[in-house]
Amino acid sequence: MPANPFQLPHLLTAIILLLPFAGFLVLTMASRRVAQLIAVLLTGTGLMLSVLLALNLPEQAVVLQSDWAVLSGVSFPVTFRADALAVLMLLLVHFVALLVQVYSISYLHDEPKLRRYFSYLQVFVGAMLGIILAGNLLVMYGFWELVGLASYLLIGFYAERPAASQAAKKAFLMNRVGDIGFLIGIFLTYYYFDTLDFTILADKGADSITPTILGLCLFMGCVGKSAQFPLLTWLPDAMEGPTPVSALLHAATMVAAGIFLLARVHPLLSPDALVVITVVGTITTLWGGYSAVFQTDIKKVLAFSTVSQLGLMVVGMGTGNVTGAMFHLLTHAFFKAGLFLSAGAIIHAVHSQDMRQMGGLRKVLPTTFIAYTICAAALSGLPFLSGFLSKEAILGGAFGWAEAQGSGLALSIPVLVLLSSGLTAFYMARQWRLVFFGTYRSETTLLSAAHEPGWLMRGPVVILAVLSLWVWFSINPLSGSGGWFFRLLPLADEPHFWWLAPVSIALVLLGGWAGFRLQEPNADRSYVQLSVNYGFLDLFYDRLAIRPTVRLATFLNRTDQRAIDGVVNGAGVATVVLAHLTSLLDRVGVDGLVNGAAWLAGRLGQLTRSVQNGRVQSYITAAVMGLLVILWWLL
Amino acid sequence: MILSLLIFIPLIGSLVVALLPERQTGLFRWIALAVTLVEVVLAGMAWAGFDKAEAGYQFLQQVDWITLPLGNLGVVSIDYLVGVDGISLPLVVLSAVVMLIGVVSSWPMTHRQKAYYSLYLLLTGTIMGCFVALDFFLFFLFFEFMLLPMYFLIGLWGGPRREYASIKFFLYTLLGSLLILLVMIALYLSVMDPVSTAVVAGLVSDSSAVTDDVIRSIQSFLQNGQLNTSQVVHTFDMRYLADGRNYLPNTFLNPATEPIVLGLPARMLAFWAIFIGFAIKLPIVPLHTWLPDAHVEAPTPVSVILAGVLLKIGGYGFIRIAWDFFPDGAAQYAQVLAGLGVLSIVYGGLSALAQADLKKMIAYSSVSHMGFVLLGVASLTAEGINGAIYQMVSHGILSAMLFLIVGVVYDRTHDRRIESYRGLLQLMPQYATLTAIAFFGSLGLPGFSGFVGELFTLMGSFQSEWLPGWFTAVATLGILLAAAYFLWTFQRMFFGAPWLGPFETKSGIEPVIADLTLREKLMLIPLGAMALVLGLFPNLVFNLTNATVTQWLVKFAVE
Repeated sequence: MPANPFQLPHLLTAIILLLPFAGFLVLTMASRRVAQLIAVLLTGTGLMLSVLLALNLPEQAVVLQSDWAVLSGVSFPVTFRADALAVLMLLLVHFVALLVQVYSISYLHDEPKLRRYFSYLQVFVGAMLGIILAGNLLVMYGFWELVGLASYLLIGFYAERPAASQAAKKAFLMNRVGDIGFLIGIFLTYYYFDTLDFTILADKGADSITPTILGLCLFMGCVGKSAQFPLLTWLPDAMEGPTPVSALLHAATMVAAGIFLLARVHPLLSPDALVVITVVGTITTLWGGYSAVFQTDIKKVLAFSTVSQLGLMVVGMGTGNVTGAMFHLLTHAFFKAGLFLSAGAIIHAVHSQDMRQMGGLRKVLPTTFIAYTICAAALSGLPFLSGFLSKEAILGGAFGWAEAQGSGLALSIPVLVLLSSGLTAFYMARQWRLVFFGTYRSETTLLSAAHEPGWLMRGPVVILAVLSLWVWFSINPLSGSGGWFFRLLPLADEPHFWWLAPVSIALVLLGGWAGFRLQEPNADRSYVQLSVNYGFLDLFYDRLAIRPTVRLATFLNRTDQRAIDGVVNGAGVATVVLAHLTSLLDRVGVDGLVNGAAWLAGRLGQLTRSVQNGRVQSYITAAVMGLLVILWWLL
Repeated sequence: MILSLLIFIPLIGSLVVALLPERQTGLFRWIALAVTLVEVVLAGMAWAGFDKAEAGYQFLQQVDWITLPLGNLGVVSIDYLVGVDGISLPLVVLSAVVMLIGVVSSWPMTHRQKAYYSLYLLLTGTIMGCFVALDFFLFFLFFEFMLLPMYFLIGLWGGPRREYASIKFFLYTLLGSLLILLVMIALYLSVMDPVSTAVVAGLVSDSSAVTDDVIRSIQSFLQNGQLNTSQVVHTFDMRYLADGRNYLPNTFLNPATEPIVLGLPARMLAFWAIFIGFAIKLPIVPLHTWLPDAHVEAPTPVSVILAGVLLKIGGYGFIRIAWDFFPDGAAQYAQVLAGLGVLSIVYGGLSALAQADLKKMIAYSSVSHMGFVLLGVASLTAEGINGAIYQMVSHGILSAMLFLIVGVVYDRTHDRRIESYRGLLQLMPQYATLTAIAFFGSLGLPGFSGFVGELFTLMGSFQSEWLPGWFTAVATLGILLAAAYFLWTFQRMFFGAPWLGPFETKSGIEPVIADLTLREKLMLIPLGAMALVLGLFPNLVFNLTNATVTQWLVKFAVE
């Protein structure tokens, strides 16, 4: 039965989706001062409409569908679909985007390209909503790429900085590598199931064994967008963008799109594919965690911690724990956005991102200090904070999964993930100390000049810190299982390991203590270099992919000019040579014959002329002789 | 009638320009503008009047042109026969639009305007003729006559190496024409016109009385050798050439008897000859090296036409002629053909990456994008063929836009080297925006037309029964490479600190680099908008192509 498109939920879904794109168009024409207000108002409206949609969400998903391309009877429709998971994400994206835009008004106060900034943000919000509301893989892919464009534009926002333009290009290209896999995954899905619709795929996928390669190809999309190993190096570079952008795109929402994709296609992932996904997630969480340890740039620490946390979410997905992973996505969005916005306040105050230049800031930035501490503690996974609840959900799921797998090798996965959470506490405590404790170390900016930002910036930070407390998600500070989230998306099975919470708390405290007490080692040490250069991954890419490609390109270009054009030009030259040869032949051979004939004719003429000597007698003699010859011949 | 107008109005316009006295210099471009505007209106009318559900040819017009009885060799019959179907109509509309843009782009041209616009309009008419001609001879006539103005347009108004480029263009294409000509003659000798033959053989009194039954019986007479050779009317009519039952027994292109020539199957030889003829035009690696040279030397409007329209005749020739007349060859060699498509995609993409000249970079990107056309056609699937036609339309729009973009900086500085520019984003913000649209559209960003063409050609090749899946996987590298060369170029030219570099004027007063003029915006904005509209509503094209492609594919149905 086709749904009436004029029902309230359908209308709301359509308006929510169209609003940011309309906003983009309006912003390209608005004046600078008005632009920021329009942007905030639009996102605020979107948030209210999303709340309204959440309150009016029917039992069955809201579906909007229209033909997009019809090829010989086969339709590829545009489908949008709002279900509980999507509405949850809608609320999250709108909410964080709103806070970030309010924050940006103050943070980018002196930016001349402010209007462009806000219009790009609207593109991002629209594209992100498209991913969330996508009802089939093709629509998701479309908005997926569009989000990549928004990310490109925002990372490269400071276009005059070479590093920013380089980072923007790198982000887009690395994402494309993943997206190629994603696209092939879509082709495979269509090949096996004859549909790309999530609803139908969920049914069909559950009933049949899907080839592992299909799941892995789709997972490639997640590897690119969510910065999983080995495509993770674009994310730290993306920090070249304005800090509020880092908070919104490269921490809270966009990079989580890969996790959301896995949630949507989870029924299509074969057991083998899930194992690979789990392993990749584990590597990523450790790789990101270790890379964060010795960074000196405040934003890069946070970027690598994002990589690490995304790896954790992927482990959740790989171990079949969709709910746990989505829960962590939600809590992570708040405290990581809070951390980035706090970092922005710090950068705003001291005009540097280098933590070696900071120190002792807790006294001059008290609000930021408290907010930062709460968010960092949530990220580390201390109890009474949201991060603890969601991390325990993933860890519990991972141990349950290992138990079900029944092999010692499988057990190594949750153990490694558990250790990585200790690592998180370690580098966050180190950062906390470097920024807020000790003595102020900058020689360029005076400590007395540093001050808290205005309330437009402080407000969002405080809100995000408050939302990182446990109470919003569950009454019980040590377990989220009684909270609303797990009623919304029930856990597949609820494993309970009584020892897990105490062990992980102990690990976090141990890691935090060690990080706080750490003596900064010499930057030349190989293990520091390994961390700072994130395992020299970029070096591998340069040697194994970029340089050979450029060399091949140069070689092919030369092939074109020498080999192919050599043949072409050679053929041309050969033709000309042949033409000269034939003309020579003409002059010597054919012309020779012709000239020879002419010469012969001349000689004959002379001969006959000597015969024609004017004497009548000889004429008569000749005529008679000729006549005789003819007669003889005739007879 | 409307199709004949499309052909003859520009031809008459060309003649008028040629006959007007030289001193009417200001008038020529207005005539060209008026003619191409009329062309757009006519093409739009054809589009509006086109029956989307009908698979066959529409707006048919047939006039007997040459009929000559040759005794035992049968009867020669060449018709003026034009018509469009879902395969040609999108390309006709595209051509009309691109030719109009080309006139606007030629506007500042001052050198020998009379000759220029006369040749330009001749080119317009012959291009239209190519897309609507349904008599192979007529098609070939237009095909050949198209080369002439193109040769002069590059050779007289081109850059420093224009003579080399134009001769190279001419020789390459002439080689292609020669191959096509040979096959055309062979086809002609092998195929009968069932309608006229039925009349000559006395089955029916005149051609209007011919029914499908009559055609079927005359075809069976032919195959059973019951027809006297002097009664057989030979034809160039593409509708009959495409039907295997019209081939005379014991001729060397008869599909039933599989004749051998020079130790090779004759039909395969003919297929490859025709394929090479059109592959040069598309172009397909390794027959592509005329393209970068021609583009680099050609003036901007000629590049726009070359990339926007002329290349499409190659793809059109594949679908209309090579594949349709020789389905056996196309099916047998599907893998080799698709392989060549994949090769073009990757080779063109890699070569584009190596270019220092902006125009050459875009020329190689054309090679890469045209590879998708061959891949889609070779896939023999509905997605692939529709996608290939769509890709041609999309590339027509986007490549026209890209070459105009090169023209913008070239007009200002006479320098096309990428390294000569930096920070244009701040120097020319509007130009940067439109370039970004063209680049992202071309690199396959969803929402723009480039994505749709690549998506469906790739999907077609993946779903194809004829091709292995890894072909598609390799071809997707083309999308990655496109992102690489376009973004790298964008980074080098538009990002960074503003820099006038080699163009800094001594006085420092007059900036060489100024943002877009109104005329430039009038060309670029509509093209960008078209790429966007087609990307959002691909059914605009697919509605036209669907029915025809579905019927076209019947020949390739796998039993």
